[in-house]
Amino acid sequence: MGNVAVMSTPVAEGRVRGPIDRRLASRVAVTRRYLVLAVLVGVLATASVVAQAVLLATIIERALRHHVTPGSLAPQFAGLAAAITVRAACGWAGEVAAHRTSAAVTAVLRRSLLAHALELGPGWLAGERAGELSLTATRGVGALDAYFGRYLPQAVLAGLVPLGVLAWIAAQDWESVLVLGGLVALVPVAMVLFGREATRRTAHQWRRLSSLAGRFLELVVGLPTLRAFGRAGQARREIAAATEGLREATMGTLRVAFLSALAMEFLAGIGTGLVAMVLGLRLLGGHVPLTTALAVLLVSPEVFLPLRRVGAEFHASTEGQAAAGRILDVLDLRSPAPAPAEPAPGARAAAPGAGMGGGPPAVALSGLTVRFPGRSTPALEHLDLAVEPGRRVAVLGPSGAGKSTILHVLLGFVAPDGGRVEVGGTALGSVPGRQWRRSITWVPQHPALLRGTVADNLRIGDPDADPEALEAAATAAGLGPFLSQLPRGLETPVGEGGLDLSAGERQRLAIARAMLKDAPVVLLDEPMSHLDRETEAALRSSVDHWLAGRTVLVAAHRPDAVPGIDRVVDLARAAPAGADGGSPSHVATAGGPPPGGEQVATCPDPGKAGPPDTPEGPPTLATEARR
Amino acid sequence: MTAAGLPARRRPALEVVRALARLGRAPRGRLVLATLLGVAGALCTVGLLAGSGYVVDRAAFRPGLGAIAGILACVEVLAFLRGPLRYAERLVAHDAAFRALGRWRVWLFDRLEPLSPAALGTWRTGDLLARAVDDVDVLQDLYLRGSLPVAVAAGAATLAVVVVGVLLPPAAAVLGGALLVALVVPPAVAALARPGRGREAALRGSLASDVVDLLRGAPDLLAFGQEEAMLGRVAEVEDELLQLARRRAWAAGLGSAVVTLCLGAAVVGVLAEAVAAVAGHRLDPVMLAVLPLAAIGAFEPVPAVMAAAVRTGDVVAAGRRRLDLADVPVPVEDPEDPVEVSPGCPSVEFEEARLRYGPDRPWALAGATLSLPPGSRTALLGSSGAGKSSLLNVLLRFWPLAGGRALLGGQPIDRYAQVDARRCIAVVDQEARLFAGSIRRNVVLGRPDASDEEVAEAIRLAQLDDWVASLPEGLETTVGEGGAKVSGGQRQRIALARALLTGAPLLVLDEPTAGLDRPTAEQLLADVLSSTGRAAEERTVLLVTHHPAEAAGFEQVAVMEAGRVTEVRRADRAGRGDGPAPTRAS
Repeated sequence: MGNVAVMSTPVAEGRVRGPIDRRLASRVAVTRRYLVLAVLVGVLATASVVAQAVLLATIIERALRHHVTPGSLAPQFAGLAAAITVRAACGWAGEVAAHRTSAAVTAVLRRSLLAHALELGPGWLAGERAGELSLTATRGVGALDAYFGRYLPQAVLAGLVPLGVLAWIAAQDWESVLVLGGLVALVPVAMVLFGREATRRTAHQWRRLSSLAGRFLELVVGLPTLRAFGRAGQARREIAAATEGLREATMGTLRVAFLSALAMEFLAGIGTGLVAMVLGLRLLGGHVPLTTALAVLLVSPEVFLPLRRVGAEFHASTEGQAAAGRILDVLDLRSPAPAPAEPAPGARAAAPGAGMGGGPPAVALSGLTVRFPGRSTPALEHLDLAVEPGRRVAVLGPSGAGKSTILHVLLGFVAPDGGRVEVGGTALGSVPGRQWRRSITWVPQHPALLRGTVADNLRIGDPDADPEALEAAATAAGLGPFLSQLPRGLETPVGEGGLDLSAGERQRLAIARAMLKDAPVVLLDEPMSHLDRETEAALRSSVDHWLAGRTVLVAAHRPDAVPGIDRVVDLARAAPAGADGGSPSHVATAGGPPPGGEQVATCPDPGKAGPPDTPEGPPTLATEARR
Repeated sequence: MTAAGLPARRRPALEVVRALARLGRAPRGRLVLATLLGVAGALCTVGLLAGSGYVVDRAAFRPGLGAIAGILACVEVLAFLRGPLRYAERLVAHDAAFRALGRWRVWLFDRLEPLSPAALGTWRTGDLLARAVDDVDVLQDLYLRGSLPVAVAAGAATLAVVVVGVLLPPAAAVLGGALLVALVVPPAVAALARPGRGREAALRGSLASDVVDLLRGAPDLLAFGQEEAMLGRVAEVEDELLQLARRRAWAAGLGSAVVTLCLGAAVVGVLAEAVAAVAGHRLDPVMLAVLPLAAIGAFEPVPAVMAAAVRTGDVVAAGRRRLDLADVPVPVEDPEDPVEVSPGCPSVEFEEARLRYGPDRPWALAGATLSLPPGSRTALLGSSGAGKSSLLNVLLRFWPLAGGRALLGGQPIDRYAQVDARRCIAVVDQEARLFAGSIRRNVVLGRPDASDEEVAEAIRLAQLDDWVASLPEGLETTVGEGGAKVSGGQRQRIALARALLTGAPLLVLDEPTAGLDRPTAEQLLADVLSSTGRAAEERTVLLVTHHPAEAAGFEQVAVMEAGRVTEVRRADRAGRGDGPAPTRAS
């Protein structure tokens, strides 16, 4: 996806919107091929329209003047049938090309959108974005279907057929061209007049629609809570009112959006009417041959027909354009991740910590500062933290003190605003994120459960794991009793349409998954917060065994969150008190002797060797971090 | 579970359409009006073209202006009318569709409400998103791109054939035949492309859930380097969808070609009949141009029918998915003659309560007995899976009992209306659910008519006051979708404030300290106990936890194991001996 970032340009203000967003045409090669084909089909269709009209006029004129039998007009009738067949073939080719293009473009755009969203990273996806974006990637991309399948073929014909037909009429009868040409010239005027406003309103409408969809989903997901508080009725009224409000707003939009179609219909009607009048009057004076008059009359609706059809699909176009715009806007965003797509020259090509003689790497953070937009206090400020190779360090602190943020920085999800992050002497940002994360495994606080079987979810940790390995990891993570009560065991479907797992079961699944990824650095985020004491106790020895020989950083509320913690870092002492609701009085109580009796030191331990390239020398603790 | 509960019966298309019309309370008047406007507009086209042909043919005989002036005037009037008629038709039709849409949406919510959370346990956001948003939006096309264009085309065609029949019956036969083929063949062609449709819907569904998985699970996928694999999975589904789309494109093209050919056949046939009739002196030569032009006009609404046929297939499929919801059994029904909840603080008793979540599932409650006297404070301990949450599901009337009894205020709980029973209970969920909007909005969900002072008091009791005071926007700070913008601890405390605000006599705390650091958790529990302690006779507290230490200070401690209450201790310091004492340094 590196080429996307290279191709991308900043979102241009007030860019010109043709029938096709230029960014779309330049990004998706299929679009260009389609346009060429569509033009060819359009030219051929125009020719057959004119031929059809001329032949019809000839037949009528002969029959009118000479009262001939159909048999004597056989060549003309045959020609007419041929012209019609060509036109039908053109229609077929045009439709097939349009629908195929539509499917191809949708697929390409969805793929780029998803890949780019991943590149922008979990930091960007956090909050409401994921839901909003999945709507864009499904429904929004679907709107493109109507755009490519229905609007674009008509738009291309609308651009070609009227001009071709007008050119032919001009060669036959220039006075009719004055009438028709004048009316056709009004079409762009009407489009600009009504179309601009309609586009603006439709874009606004789209935002409202997606926010209503998001709200609807949220209320449905929150139904248990709403019911528990007896507020489901209130939510129902809210949905009804929002939908009704949306209807009124949409009708307002449509009243404007349909104006362009109205103008088109109107011009077309007037066009035919006026041409009939002009031709009739000139026929009365004998200034025009009947064949010409008839042919011109027959083709005159064809000048407007493609324009009217395109007008009828106008809101399919604006919705599709709005959707395409949203997708292209996302694609145009530059990845905030500091990592290069390719390793920087001179940087080691391997994952950090690999190839260092087999031992686990050291983890070192120095002067780490992270600020989140819209928050007055930094989430982390000048934090120094080092984990020596093979050691286990617990980061404690009240909720919101930035424990998870440290792990997210180490995972490359959150770009630091200052400071240096190193794993095994390799600096974050000097190697691609994919490669950086290869040496890290993680137990998130809220692990995602993907649609698939339990085994599929475990294989996230190691796609090549055999069933025995999966079984072993599941047992080690304490999932044994849970799996044994499922008739299909590891092959039980979970996630959407399958079994929903409790928070504790998810947590154990995440531990098993993390175990399967045999990485030298282990990041644990409240790994056992949802486990009861017995389960946790049963798990401790296997977790201890797993963590042996790895460099471990744990974010936790308790210093005994995992066994064998070598050192505790208390963010409550390092971070400004009260940054997140934990008031100073509680902060002071943290870090007391834990009941479990593990080796805990709350003071710096200068005796342990730090990473070789830490300029300050021995590793320092976060407790010294405030400068 | 739910997936297995879905019906195997496939509703016939007609039944789906009828049911949808009923549920959307089809705005009949508006639909009829839209159809009439559409037919009138289409007839304007026929009249405009045929009239123009007449004017030109007639003028060729140079009869003088007076002879064509009347017809010319009519042509101009029709030319003026057509646009506004079409405009009005589309507005009326869209209005009707949106009205029905709103009703369908509310209907869905109504269907989902009694199924939640029990019968919806296995659903997730992706599927609901697809069902709720996409299906509903597809349904609006039932009229707009479905029945309406068909009605207009059929109406206009019939009238055009009648008019042509008056002039030249054989021509009417040709035109009628061609129109019939053009109206019937496209649906047949759509059916030709149909075999892939069910598969396509399934693929779209799995695509939607994969997209949600990919975006919501992005951190996990990236951390484990599995993002490419997941993108590959999406790509596979898309490739298959592309194959199906190709076939559909072929059929769509064929349909439009058939319509063009029918139009051609009609024009050629009608013209041949007219030429023969003129040669045989059965028709005024002036009508020579009128007839083929009328045929062209009559075909104008026909292409929309092909699209309508395709679209109706989608609508019926979406409608079928939505209607299948109606077949999912509602787990808990209100009694026909509910008893009133007596005022004051009710007692709660479980006697040999049994519950399981499916016939093939293990017993979640296997005869649990527990009594909560009014004003008592009970801690319910037990490992995960012991049945603690199931007990709450019974209390909140989310699940029915399969055996034994549950009493609220001395009455079996299933004799109350669900709403009434829940009104007695304030809950802090295990994973507290917040809604997008301000902190205040989330707190007053507990009691919408609460005064500012009461809200402030609830905020204070939940230990949120310092934090709220530090926020620039205070209580009006937004929490994001699902509370995503606030930390887990704050989410829990906002949920606690919401529960305290209800003033319900029974306060249920389901693992309220999960995700909180120890000192904060202890302070929180201490505050809850002291705030409820002041009015002990008014409020019963039930704390569900797996931390024995948190039971300290509760006068009754119950322990659950394997769906049974195995131990009940009534002592002021019940929790002390059970586990390590809470650490309270400083």
